[in-house]
Amino acid sequence: MSSTAILGAWIAVFLTFGIFSYLYKDNPFYKMAEHLFVGVSAGYWTSIYFWTQIQPNLFGRLWPASEYNADSFWYKIYNGLGFFSSSIFPEGGIDKGHDMYLIYLIPFALGVMMLLSLIPKINWFARWGIAYTVGMAAGLRAYGYLNSNVIGQIKGTIANLGDPNMPFWSLSSPSIFNSIVIIVGTLTGLIYFYFSKEHKGMLGKISKVGIYFLMISFGASFGFAVMGRISLLIGRFVDLIKYSGSQFHYATIWILVIMIIILGYDAFKDRGKNTPVSEDVVQ
Amino acid sequence: MKGLTELILKIGKVDRRWIFLVLAVVVFIPILTPIGMPIRATATTKVVYDLIENLPPNSNVLVSIEYSPSTKPENHPMTISILRHLFRNNQKVFITCLWPDGQFMAQDAIQQVAIEEFGKVYGEDYVFLGFRPGSEAVIKGIVSNIRKLYTVDVYQTKIDEIPLMDGINKFSDFAYLFSSSAGYPGTVEWVQYAADPTGVPMSSGVTSIQVNEVMPYVQSGQIKGLLAGMPGAAEYEALIGQKGLATSGMDAQSIAHLVIVLFIILGNAAYFIERKRSKKY
Repeated sequence: MSSTAILGAWIAVFLTFGIFSYLYKDNPFYKMAEHLFVGVSAGYWTSIYFWTQIQPNLFGRLWPASEYNADSFWYKIYNGLGFFSSSIFPEGGIDKGHDMYLIYLIPFALGVMMLLSLIPKINWFARWGIAYTVGMAAGLRAYGYLNSNVIGQIKGTIANLGDPNMPFWSLSSPSIFNSIVIIVGTLTGLIYFYFSKEHKGMLGKISKVGIYFLMISFGASFGFAVMGRISLLIGRFVDLIKYSGSQFHYATIWILVIMIIILGYDAFKDRGKNTPVSEDVVQ
Repeated sequence: MKGLTELILKIGKVDRRWIFLVLAVVVFIPILTPIGMPIRATATTKVVYDLIENLPPNSNVLVSIEYSPSTKPENHPMTISILRHLFRNNQKVFITCLWPDGQFMAQDAIQQVAIEEFGKVYGEDYVFLGFRPGSEAVIKGIVSNIRKLYTVDVYQTKIDEIPLMDGINKFSDFAYLFSSSAGYPGTVEWVQYAADPTGVPMSSGVTSIQVNEVMPYVQSGQIKGLLAGMPGAAEYEALIGQKGLATSGMDAQSIAHLVIVLFIILGNAAYFIERKRSKKY
């Protein structure tokens, strides 16, 4: 077993117990694990985004190796940038299989504008970048949702009612009964969220049916959420058991014992003081 | 009867930390000493299995990895089982990632299945295209022109130099898509921007928490079959006849659920008894 793997196991065990320790109460182990997680995530994502998108797909299209010409003004700028970082701007252009597309200067400029939000005096520049992103996302998603969530769902459920080969009764496969349930559930659920008229009389009764559909849906979601969390707990326990072996120098046992002693000592020191469990501990 | 009522009330007021401890114990013990509860494949899992089983050999299959270590216990066993099934049937596998951490998950699965178990050759039997940021835009890119989006693979080899990429230009060049997903971007986006517009069949393996969101697409036939959380992964392991982490976790999963249901019943009983008493006085 390599020393890196052993060190990794000890860190993994420490962070796992650090996060779990919050179930007992808020404590420095938890804070350490939480801050480390946030910091490492931010750094990791920045690095990944830069090296998988900005460097190869943006810079790689602005200064591709295939069109490198050391005498051109454009590549003189590139070589100037290469003076600061040869790993981002390697000698001879960026070789990621792209041709030159100067139109990519527009997304480059929009990206720089978004970063300008850090400077209060000219932070309004960021609105251009944000406006483009929001507009693009809205346009892209409108099509996807309309096609799959509206037309696709109608085709796959309601439209099936006219299918003569469809059985009337089946719970686990497409059937007329299931299609009727979907229609009733969708309509009554929508009526529940219709607030332009007071929910009285027939409207009130229909919206009540909608509530039942919603409650069943929330119940199913809750059940699946519990199942998911238990699965993740199983995954952590499997790793903790693995790391408790001699090849990892009993990392799990050592860290668990040390943490219990420290938290126990802290509780002993604070005995008599009323320190309630945090309100937001796994509601 | 009075003693039982008092006991229920006492349980209703127990410090939540005891409940956490009880749950930890009931999850921990079955992992150490498995009971071996029977696992029976549900219809949605069977559909995924049948679809892969009926693909002609040497079909181009796209596997998309959209999860991180945080959902590894649910998604990873699915990915491993699906890769085993695909490689066993001699399919050509192309792996992409919509999540940056997915790249490490994919690398781990490739190492275990493609290299160690099947000895598959990179560039001839499988290609690892890796992660590209952009969510839906990446899917749209794969649908319209995969070569424009991926000029190099994860190892920085040019796509044009990879033999398996010959003839692969867009999403409709694939015979099948499997999305192993833990959220956004993932299965839903693949349905919206790839499977629905092109008609290429797709299946998915999702975390338990996503099942409710994805199930309507399965019911309407937009997704062909679904592996639902750890149970779905365990069912697939049973179908391909190779047990793994999901199967070993199902005992703990089942017992933990029984205990949670018991706590819910006791908690509700305590609530109703208390409410009845407060009305009385």
